[in-house]
Amino acid sequence: MASVFSPPGFDFSNQLRNNFMAQKGLPLPKATSTGTTIVGCLFDGGIVLGADTRATEGPIVADKNCEKIHYITESIRCCGAGTAADTEFTTALISSNMELHGLTTGRKPRVVTAMTMLKQMLFRYQGQVGAALVLGGVDSTGPHLFTIAPHGSTDKLPYVTMGSGSLAAMAVFESGWKANMSREAALQLVKDAIAAGIFNDLGSGSNIDACIITASHTEMLRNVEMPNQRVEKERQYGFRRGTTAWKTENVRSLIVNEEITLLGGGDEMDTT
Amino acid sequence: MSIMDQNGGSVIAMVGKDCVAIASDLRLGNQALGVSSNFQKIFPVTDRIYLGLPGLATDVTTLKERFRFRVNMYTIKEEREIEPETFAHLVSSTLYEHRFGPYFCEPVMAGLSKTPSGGYKPFIAATDLIGCLNFAKDFVVAGTASEKLFGVAEGLWEPDLEPEDLFETISQTLMNAVDRDAYSGWGCVVHVLTKDKVITRTLKGRMD
Amino acid sequence: MASADGGAYSYSLTVFSPSGKLVQIEHALAAVAGGTTSLGIKASNGIVIATEKKSSSILIDDSMIDKVAVVCPNIGIVYSGMGPDFRVLIAKARKSAQAYWKMYGEYPPTRVLTQEIATVMQQATQSGGVRPYGVSLLVAGWDITRGPTLYQVDPSGSFWAWKASAIGKNMINAKTFLEKRYNDDISLEDAIHTALLTLKEGFEGQMTEKTIEIGVITVPTTAELEEGKIGGETGRPKPTFRKLTEEEVRDYLAL
Repeated sequence: MASVFSPPGFDFSNQLRNNFMAQKGLPLPKATSTGTTIVGCLFDGGIVLGADTRATEGPIVADKNCEKIHYITESIRCCGAGTAADTEFTTALISSNMELHGLTTGRKPRVVTAMTMLKQMLFRYQGQVGAALVLGGVDSTGPHLFTIAPHGSTDKLPYVTMGSGSLAAMAVFESGWKANMSREAALQLVKDAIAAGIFNDLGSGSNIDACIITASHTEMLRNVEMPNQRVEKERQYGFRRGTTAWKTENVRSLIVNEEITLLGGGDEMDTT
Repeated sequence: MSIMDQNGGSVIAMVGKDCVAIASDLRLGNQALGVSSNFQKIFPVTDRIYLGLPGLATDVTTLKERFRFRVNMYTIKEEREIEPETFAHLVSSTLYEHRFGPYFCEPVMAGLSKTPSGGYKPFIAATDLIGCLNFAKDFVVAGTASEKLFGVAEGLWEPDLEPEDLFETISQTLMNAVDRDAYSGWGCVVHVLTKDKVITRTLKGRMD
Repeated sequence: MASADGGAYSYSLTVFSPSGKLVQIEHALAAVAGGTTSLGIKASNGIVIATEKKSSSILIDDSMIDKVAVVCPNIGIVYSGMGPDFRVLIAKARKSAQAYWKMYGEYPPTRVLTQEIATVMQQATQSGGVRPYGVSLLVAGWDITRGPTLYQVDPSGSFWAWKASAIGKNMINAKTFLEKRYNDDISLEDAIHTALLTLKEGFEGQMTEKTIEIGVITVPTTAELEEGKIGGETGRPKPTFRKLTEEEVRDYLAL
């Protein structure tokens, strides 16, 4: 299917040209990155993942409400920080491979499997694929929580943070985390950790997303808290129709009109 | 000065009530030198999808052709028109294929997608140069005037604008932003898509 | 030359016999006709595909045998013929479905996936050093443009859409049976029972949840679709194809 277009994997055909342009003194532009606060927290019988929803392009907020908790399988999710496209495509690739793995083995794939696939891929690209991940989920061996750094190293801890807001979030975890927390307490701690990132780190902002994974159920709490809602404008700033002067207009109708014109009686044939 | 700013140009797309609009300037430059005042960077993909490609002009043309090829292949193979959401993913995966040698373009898409019950729903999206999708509910911008466009659009956009009001809002947003961008301008073009027609207008603006 | 086994033309599969036949393909069809019976019925609100699962010895652990396979959340396949060939095709079909998903962010329509499998099977009829796949497939799927569709793919790589079809050992009798029983507004529940009745004709031994496999396509309602497009709680649309569990099969057999 994809074979009609090009083989799978990356296409390096523009590199020669791009390097030439870079040599001429034109620097390569920046891709969208997620400055990001992402966290994960283990609780009694499950995992809570959390993320903010800001995407930045340099100093500009490119997306005020993006989704950073990515789907891996029904009971495994992954938060992404770093180059936005890399986190998006890396998690999509591993999600796809996990689905194939699940179909061929006939079992629910495990969190360590996803972690191994991710670290092997990131290590292969030597940090060039800029994805810093928090991976969490529940499988037949219980709840698991990992961080995966862009170069492919991993950690397994009961509470983790990543991204530019990781210090702010970790401060909250270090002061508030306790072993064997309840689901509610863990969710509240995760929300507090993300809020610390949102309000104290410029790379993070907008809303809080959370995801609670237990053995039986996964609950995605999109925009569980929206502490930065814009207040409604006091006045309307619409322009009166006719404000903008235009030179030419072209209207393309998408409605197909058919008209049938009968020519003559229709049954006589000229036989002379 | 980055490669993205070599030729100049900006695109914006906005959502209205059962309609969408996409607009761009018409300048093609060689850095500060103006070359053309009729350089189209918005292209129709299907009747109900328009694609804006601001960035390096050579890549604008290359990508336009690549997407035309891929959309045509899709239409022939699947015997159906591509939907905006599907097209957005196609754009995104095409750009990410070139992750380590990108095209210097930041595509902006506007379209109306068919709902299962037979109606049409407004759709806009934008990606960065390596294909990270941004689905916004209000507006998306790209190009050399993107910073200004963000600011003006944030102030002027409001929900549920009728097609004619959306035309005014997007036109004013674009014109006022490009007037403060040296690399964009030299005329503007606006497309407003509704369920039964596409209105295309060229605007009267500063030519300096 | 024109002997029953195809004579000199039966060895190299890429050589036509003077009568215009590729004898290896006909042999492959014979392998399919020797396989256990499978069938598919399209109902007004879904599709059922079913097959007989026969093991050559009571000593075989038949929990490991899968004859109805999930390709992606909206497509399932059942086969008659050679098991190993089927497994290879399923692996290719699943990869193809995932490649499509990575490109377009959605799973392939049934027809596109069927065409893809058919292309793989056709390739094996004109490549050097290979033999055709010894299987016929029934591909059942649901997609937004064409709704529920049922395709049959043969070793030659040809494929057709069917309202109901049967492949394998008992295909001729089964098809006659289906022709008598089928009508356009049959419900999925009735179709499952018709499928079981059809399999019963010429079934060797006892029909149990261990010897029958069933897969169904359920057509989502418009309301479900509207919701699914936004992405439900999982952010993923609900699967439309699923295999019935042994308990469910047992319940259908009891009725």
